[in-house]
Formats: sequence, C-alpha cells, structure tokens
Amino acid sequence: MKIKGKSLKSLDMKNAFINSLYALVFSLLLGMVFISITGYSPLDTYRAIFVSSFSSTKNFALTLSQATPLMFTGIAFALAYRVKMINTGAEGQMYAGAITAALVGAYITNLPGIIHIPLALLVAAAAGGFTAGIVGYAKLKTGANEIIMTLMLNNVVIFITGYLANGPLKPEGSGVGQTERIQESAKLMKLIPQTQLTIALLIVIAVAIILQYMLDRTVFGYEMKVTGFNLRAAQVAGIKVSKASLITFTISGAVAGLGGAAMVLGVNYRFIEGFSSGYGFAGISIAALAAYSPLAVIPAAFLIGILRAGTITLSRTTAIPIEVVDVIQVLIIIFVAAPSMIRAITGNFKKLVTKFTSNNEKSGGIEQ
Amino acid sequence: MIDIDIDLIYSILSSTLRRSVPLLLAATGGTFSMRAGVMELGLEGMMLAGSFFSVFGAWWLGSPWLGLIVGIVFAVLFAMVHGVMHIQYHVIGSISGMAVNLLAGAITPLLLNIIYGLSGKSPMVNGLTDSNIEWFNNIPVIGKILAAQNILFFIGLLIVVVSWIFMFKTKYGLRMRMVGENPQAASAVGLNVKAYKYFGVIMSGCLAGIGGAYLSLGQMSMFVEDMTAGRGYIAVVINAFGRYNPIGALGGSIFFGFFDAIQTIFQSILPSQLVMATPYVVTILVIVFALKGGKAPAGTGKHAEH
Amino acid sequence: MNLINMEKIVKVYPGTVALDKVDFHVKEGEIVSLLGENGARKSTLMKILYGMTSATSGKVYYKGEELNFKRPIDAIKKGICMVHQHFMLVDAFTVTENIIVGSEPGSKGFVDIKDAQRKVEKLIEDFNFNIDPHSKVADLSVGEQQRVEILKVLYREADVIILDEPTAVLTPQEVKDLFKILSKLREQGKTIIIITHKLKETKAIADRVVILRDGKLIEDNVKPENVSTNDLSKMMVGREVDLRNRHPAKNIGKVSLSVKNLNIVEDGKTKIKDVSFNIHSGEILGIAGVEGNGQTQLIEALTGLRKPDTLEMTLNGKKIEGSPTEILEAGIAHVPEDRLSMGLVKEMSVMNNMILGYHRHEEFCKKYGILNRNHIYNYADDLREKFSVKTPSVDSAVNSLSGGNQQKIIIARTFNRDPEAIIIAHPTRGVDVGAIEYIHQQMLELRDKGAAILLVSADLDEVRTLSDRLLVIYEGEIVSESLPGELDEIEMGLLMTGGHSMIEESETS
Repeated sequence: MKIKGKSLKSLDMKNAFINSLYALVFSLLLGMVFISITGYSPLDTYRAIFVSSFSSTKNFALTLSQATPLMFTGIAFALAYRVKMINTGAEGQMYAGAITAALVGAYITNLPGIIHIPLALLVAAAAGGFTAGIVGYAKLKTGANEIIMTLMLNNVVIFITGYLANGPLKPEGSGVGQTERIQESAKLMKLIPQTQLTIALLIVIAVAIILQYMLDRTVFGYEMKVTGFNLRAAQVAGIKVSKASLITFTISGAVAGLGGAAMVLGVNYRFIEGFSSGYGFAGISIAALAAYSPLAVIPAAFLIGILRAGTITLSRTTAIPIEVVDVIQVLIIIFVAAPSMIRAITGNFKKLVTKFTSNNEKSGGIEQ
Repeated sequence: MIDIDIDLIYSILSSTLRRSVPLLLAATGGTFSMRAGVMELGLEGMMLAGSFFSVFGAWWLGSPWLGLIVGIVFAVLFAMVHGVMHIQYHVIGSISGMAVNLLAGAITPLLLNIIYGLSGKSPMVNGLTDSNIEWFNNIPVIGKILAAQNILFFIGLLIVVVSWIFMFKTKYGLRMRMVGENPQAASAVGLNVKAYKYFGVIMSGCLAGIGGAYLSLGQMSMFVEDMTAGRGYIAVVINAFGRYNPIGALGGSIFFGFFDAIQTIFQSILPSQLVMATPYVVTILVIVFALKGGKAPAGTGKHAEH
Repeated sequence: MNLINMEKIVKVYPGTVALDKVDFHVKEGEIVSLLGENGARKSTLMKILYGMTSATSGKVYYKGEELNFKRPIDAIKKGICMVHQHFMLVDAFTVTENIIVGSEPGSKGFVDIKDAQRKVEKLIEDFNFNIDPHSKVADLSVGEQQRVEILKVLYREADVIILDEPTAVLTPQEVKDLFKILSKLREQGKTIIIITHKLKETKAIADRVVILRDGKLIEDNVKPENVSTNDLSKMMVGREVDLRNRHPAKNIGKVSLSVKNLNIVEDGKTKIKDVSFNIHSGEILGIAGVEGNGQTQLIEALTGLRKPDTLEMTLNGKKIEGSPTEILEAGIAHVPEDRLSMGLVKEMSVMNNMILGYHRHEEFCKKYGILNRNHIYNYADDLREKFSVKTPSVDSAVNSLSGGNQQKIIIARTFNRDPEAIIIAHPTRGVDVGAIEYIHQQMLELRDKGAAILLVSADLDEVRTLSDRLLVIYEGEIVSESLPGELDEIEMGLLMTGGHSMIEESETS
C-alpha cells in the first residue's frame, strides 16, 4: 500500500519550481549588471555575500533573522494567491499586528510568559486578519479591487499607528514615535544570544507547516485550491467559493499580523514607527519564488535572507548599496509572473546556441 | 483657532489647484491606458520614474525642460515593462502594473546611491518655476490664484482638453476606444489591437511621467525618495470615479487636491498623520460605496485572439 | 460566369481533414444557402472565403481574379463581408459609431459625425431598418443589433454578404423582417450566402441550396422549390444509424425523476418553455437537439447552478431543490457538458479530481476535515483500474491525460457511486472512438442497475442508440417524444431544425 506524498509529483508543480529557478537565475544575472554599474565585480560581490552569511554565528543569525519577517509576509501573499486574490496589504497588516502586540505586551502585567506571548500573538493575528478581512468582505459585497483597497489601507494603518506612536501612546521623553517597552514576560526568547534571531523563526516555520498541511491534507485546503484553479468547476462541485476566498484572505492577513508581532516582541520590544523596511512587498517576490507554496516560502526566504544579510554586511565595509537586493527582488517577481517571457528568452537562447553550433559543423552539404 | 478670511480661501484654492496637477496628469494618462483596455495600476511607478529621471535629466543636462523630457522618456520605458508583460506575454494587467511600481520603488533609491552617492534625496537642481505671469493679476477674483500656479498647471489643462478631443472626436480615438471595449471585434474590423494598446500604455507613461516631474522638478526642484506617496493609486481611483474620461479626471483631481490642500491647514488642530490619512480613507470609501457605478471599458484586460 | 469560385478547397487541421476538396460557386445576385448540421464545416469554408483562415490547398476566385486573403480586412476591402453569428459590436457605442469604426468619414483625423449620421440614416431609410442611429447598441434588441451588423456591411458597400447562422438568436417575427431585408438586398444586386442548419430559412429565402456534410460537398445545385424538407433533411444528415447496436432496457421501473413546468426567461427571451418529462428507473431518456436550443439552461436548472423561473422536480416523490451539493446529496449526479471548464481541475492530480464534488463525504475526510489521503489514493487507483483510465499514476495532473481519459475520470467518480438519477451532458464530445464505446457501455450498465438517466447530447447517433425514449428540444421547447426507431433520421433531423412547424404550417394553410 503506497502512501503518496505532496503533489510535488504533479507536472505543474515541477514546472512551477523550474520557472522559479529560471527567474532567480535571470534576476541574479540582471542584478550583476546593476552591481557592475557601481564599479564592483559582480561575481566577487555575490561570493562575498554568500560567504559572509555563513562566516560567523552572528552573521548566520543575521541571515536567519532577516529572513524571518520575509517568511511571514511571503506566506501571507502565497496563501491569498492560492485563491487568486492579491494581498498587497501585508505591510499594513504587519503594522496592525505590531501595534496590538506592543500594547498587549506592554500594558498587561503579571502574566507568565507562557500565556503572555501566545496572547499577544493571538491579538496580533486577529488584528492582521481583521485588516485583511474587511477588504475581503468589501470585495465580496461590492467587487472592489483588493489591490487598490489593501494599498490604500496600508497607508491608513501606517498613519494611524504613526499617530498613536507619536501621540497618546508615546512614552515620556521619547524622541521617536514609538510605544512603551513591553514586559519581560512578553519578550520572545532568542535562539542565539545577542542576535536578532528569536523563536519567531520556529513560530513561522510551524505556521508554514500547518498551512501547507491544511492546503495539502484538509478539505478546506482542497476547496481553496479548486477555487483558485477553476472557479466554475468549484461552483459546479458545490464549493462555497466566496466563503473560501474570504476565509483564506483573512488568514493571510493574520499571518502578516504575526510577522509584525514577531518584530515587536522579538527585536524592538516595542512598536517603533517605520519598523518595517518594505517587508510586506518583499514578501511578494518570496511567494512568487516559492511558487506560492507556504512551506517552500521558508527556503525561498532563506535565500533572499542571504542576499539581504550579505548586502547589509557588505555595505558596512564597501560602498555597495543595499538597494540592489530590492531590485533583484522585483526582477524575480517580473520573471516569475511571466513564464511565457522566460520561455521566449530560453527559446531564443537555445536557437542562438544551435545556430552557433550548427555553423561550426557546416560542411557544405545540404541542410535538412 | 483658524481665521477664515479671504486670504485663507485664496490660499486653499491656490493650493488645491497646485495639488491637483500631478493627479490630473497621471489620471489623464491612465484614461488612455484604460480606454485601450489595459489596466493602469502602474501609474505610481511611472510617476516615480518621471519624478526621479526628470531631476536626473536637469542635473545632468542643466536645463529643467531637458530634464522634463528625460523624465518622460524614462517613465515611458517603465510603462513599457508593464506593456510588454501584459500585451505581449499576457500577464494579468494588475500584476504587471504592480511590477512597475515595485521596480520604480526599488530602482530609484538604488540610483540615488549610484548616481549621486546620496540616500533619501537628490541634490537640488534648476526646477520649473511658477509662472508668476503678471498679466493674470488683471483677472478679477481668480487672477491671484492663477498667477501662483506653475506652468505645468496650464500645460496640464491643455493636455486634458487635447486628450478629450483626441478620444472622443478623432478617428484614432474612436478606434482606440473600440479596442478597449471589444478587442475581438476591433480585430475583425481590421484594427491593430496591440498597437492601440501599446499606444495607451505609452501615453499613460508619458503623462504620468510629466505628473511625476511636476512633483520633483516643479515643486521641490529635487527628488525625494518615495515622493509620489500613493498619488498614482489615487489617480486610478479618480479614473474609476470619473468614468475614464479626461474631464472626469480633472474633476476628480481637484476633489482630491482639495483634501490634500486643507490637510496642511488643519495640521495645527489635528495630528498630521490623521490628516494625511484622509485622502486614503476617502479613496477607500469612494471605492466601496460609490464605485458601483464606475464601469470600466468592457474589454479591459482582454486580448484579441487569433 | 460565377462571381465566386472556390475550387477543390482542402483544409487540414492537425489530425483531421476539415474540408475535403470542396467546390463552391456563387452567381452574382443570388441568395445561396449553405446547409449542414453541426460539424459539417460550413463555417470553415466561409472563413476561408472571408480571409479569417487560409486553405491548405485549392483556389478561390472572385470576379475571375484569384484571391489570396491574409486577413479579414483584405476581404472587406474587396467587398466581401461577414455578418458574424456572435455579434462584433461595442455595447457602449452608438449605432452610428459601431457602423463607421474603421472607415470613418472626415478629414485630418477628425470624425465628421454629422456626415456619418447622414450616411447611416440614408441606409436605414433605404432598407427600412427602423433603428435610431443615435441609440446605444446596448439598448437594442437582438434583432436590431443584427441589423446594425448588416448596416456595417452595407456601409462598406459590400457586394458579397455572408451571414453566419443569422436566425439563431431571432424571434419568428424578427426572422420574417430579416428575410424582407435580404430580399431587398438581392433586388439591389447584392450576393448573399447564408450559413445555416435550419431548413426554414433555406426554403423561405434561398435561390439555391448547397449541402455540406462532414466537410464534403454533397449537393450543390438544389432548388428549394423542387425539393421537400424531407429530402433536404436526408441530404443533410445522410447516413443510417446502425440500430443493431441498441441494447434496449429490460428492467424499466416506476417513475423516478420527475420534472414539471420548467420555465426560464433570460433578458426578456424565453430560453426554456414549459418543459416537463419523467424518467423511470432503469431508463435512459435522451434529449436530442442542435446545440444552443436551451440545453445548457435546462441542465443548469436541474443541477442547482441556476434558479429557474418555475420548476417542480421530484425524485421518487421527494421534492428536490437547492444548491448543487444539496441536489447531489439528494441523489441526482451530474456529468457536466464541458469537462475542462466545469468538471475537472486540470492542474490537480487525477486522485484529487476523483473526489471532486464528493470530497466532503465521510469516507474521504476524517475528523476535523482532514483528508484521508491513503484512502483517497486507493479509491482513485481502484477507479482508475475499474474504469480503464489511462494514466501512469493517479498522481499525474489531469492535463496530461487525453480528452477521453479525462472524461472517464468524471464518469468514474459519478457512476461508481450508483446514483439514483444522473444528468449526463455531451459525454463523448471531443473523445476518441475507443473511449466513446467504453463510456456508452458504462452508461448502459448504470441504467441496468436501475438508475434514471437523462442524456443530453448534440450527437444524434449517440442519443438515438442509447436512449429508451427520445425527446427533441428546439428553441427551448420539447417538440417531440418518441421511441427510438419510431422516427427515422430524416424526421429527427427535421424536428431538430424546426422543420416540424413547417409541416404544421403547411398542414394548416
């Protein structure tokens, strides 16, 4: 009796991962162009980035801690995409989760860590889920475009939290917009001391496993996938597509909210204005690279984490701008989104190669 | 307390018009794209590209007008990324549009570093100054307001009028609209569907680029990171609200420009963030409650099949 | 001399010969009806004339000159225009705008709208079209929209007008109006080709009839006044069905599925009118008809995908209504008419598709909604074997299977559960011969187990061979009920193409 594993065997998943691989390669190649403009050798740069991420425990921890928030937002986008919804609101959902976690962490006292942390996480997830949920609901009822809605909502959430952090919630004598420091009981334990790597990594891996399990092994995940692949067939099969989409989108927001909580409870120990350097949007390229599979987001984020961490380290010693990584991330999205574009490029490349090699072999005979 | 007097009103009106210009230009550009059946989500990125590269052009070539041209060229290049992805490779319009936004958002900080060695903002350049045309002061009531406007405001109005005439009074405008409504039928009548779609995308890049240039070259004489601050998305909403029509774009832009204008005034009594959030909140409310009437051209996102 | 001469036209698509050395000619000023049933390839032949596709071999001459059209615009420029079956109109534009787009009057790039209005108004007047040129196309009736399509053609001063199934969407009155217009056009010297499967149009308006069947020319100089509808039908439909393949039901029981008073009105048009029928257990009730006569709407209503205006449906006396799942659980299974868009998720595995629609059953999902993957795998594998689904493994994605095997997945998952009643739509469309036989055999076995089967199919052979009782649907109404063999192919063809009402008309006149 055979027990079959994930749907990795199906042709489509295989194609999707090959596509991601090509996208990564092309993006890195184009990235090399940008690096050479700065005057540095691209290959040396890439080697340095890769080596530095593993060169010391601290650097390795930096890689992982850079990757952790990306894992959260990557999972968020990937999950929503499975029902063909585009969650560009991860940034705002993160902020919503962050501020609620900060408040629960700071103002609820006398709780043992074992309760305090899950409580804060739960509230953050709820906040993120709510932020996404209202957009999902609006789409359900009015057909509103979730891309524009979430983008607008991002700004609203960032502004509101900014106001709170600079106004009513700002601690005495504080220079920047932020909230009160959280209680000791709410702090996430570090995995490696004196680094930013916390158990948030374990939490997000657990989330990835749970969601992947849900996608592959549960009825709800099954209905999600069918809805995303073929709406009409889902309806004919009796699946309640609006419910599936809304719930999925809400969970997506909840995961992003957890990401914000992770930053607050593990790194900053308070909500700080502007704490997220574009993690929300970076999550999109991670999700694309992972072919929208929650578990694959972990290695994908790790890869990008290497890039980001390595670039940060390098930027301390060289003049290489950190923004190169951002550009590479966008290129990944572009290439993954256009598989036919990749096919066209590889197809033309192959034609060039055959033309080149056949010219070398031409002996004057008639070509068939 | 805020004193309401005639100077304040003039100030608000003047500011409203000023703030409406970038929205107006981007939204009008967006109407070309939408009317050709291509979603125009990438306006933000095109504007940002216009903002950055117009300053770059002015810095490099010395003249703000040349800078404007450089800005437009690059904005169109960015628009073409979206155009090729969508029209040639059939990527969903909203995704290719977002890709442009992300691309511009990632490249401009990088270039700030590479070109100027700075971060956050560029050096100052010669900008496009306000017109300060004395003649306007002769016009009663609104003269003072008009005189305070930048030359691009008047160019913008001209563009709106010309765009409207093109779209609704000329042959090519009619054909472009047909491509947007029913690309299959347009193809059957012999129209080159792809060409018209590319045209729409190029025009959106061009005008959004000018809009972006207005923000940087026209208002601040330099580029500040992320200075478009979501205006491209607001332009998208303006169009949905204004029925993808240059005149509607004008009206919607003034509406949003007004909110942008009074924000600075109310900053003394309301916290700045809440005021800054207002246009976004308004946008959301507009989409959810008012937009059920905003119907896009029937063929949006569709391609002609063979 | 002939105005149009198409000589020995061959058109080959991968794997099939669509047109087999067809000769087709048209004289100036005549109305020719190009007659044939679904799949006769009449549209393909005209697409070549019109420039939408090119012939694999053969020549086309127009006014003596050899044609080599690459795109429809080339044909339009020469004066050959097509009025499409699915209108190519812009709903948001006015009538005038729709007509002039691409050939607008005016100078320096501007549209001289007044000139356009004048020209259009004159055309409308000349032909008595009775449309307001300022109105938006979205506000027009279907018949009026068709007239706009015809105006497009007249505005471009077409000499040859090809109409593709023009009366498919018209009411009887609109058809009469259309024929008046066509007569007028003929008076003006226009040449008209009508692609159709309807005998009514042919007899009423054509000067000459050309009959195609399976891509071959059958007859090309038939004068409608010399021939009866029976003859036309015979030529159209042609072959005899080997009724030796029939396996009549032996165990027909009580009434199982009962449908009464099904009515569907959509956008003001009646799609289904007063349809009622009963199916006994152990019986296959077939509904024959050319596609587009209401079958889709009928099935949607019975399977919960559409709410009809009126419907009373019972299964063994119990009332049935509700969502697709509710109807499925009540005992009525469904094999949808388009497997890829409605019945399968091609990106997912065979295994996952085997439980689609039934995935919430206890046997597939354990507590808390966790799927029992072992069981599903084994279940799917068993079905794969039992129903001969050719696939390397049930893990393979459905889009790697052939059409016939894809269909077998749907057959397997619905038949295996021994439904009390089942609605099957076009089960062998696009399926290879071997799979067709297999699927038919499965249907007979299911019937003999006592299921009540409703078979809707455009394939006349299939529906005649398998059914125990046969209905014909035409324009949303059941126009006949018979036992197979009672009516021969010709009479069936007549009923399917509206000929029956002509018989009635001629009997009452």
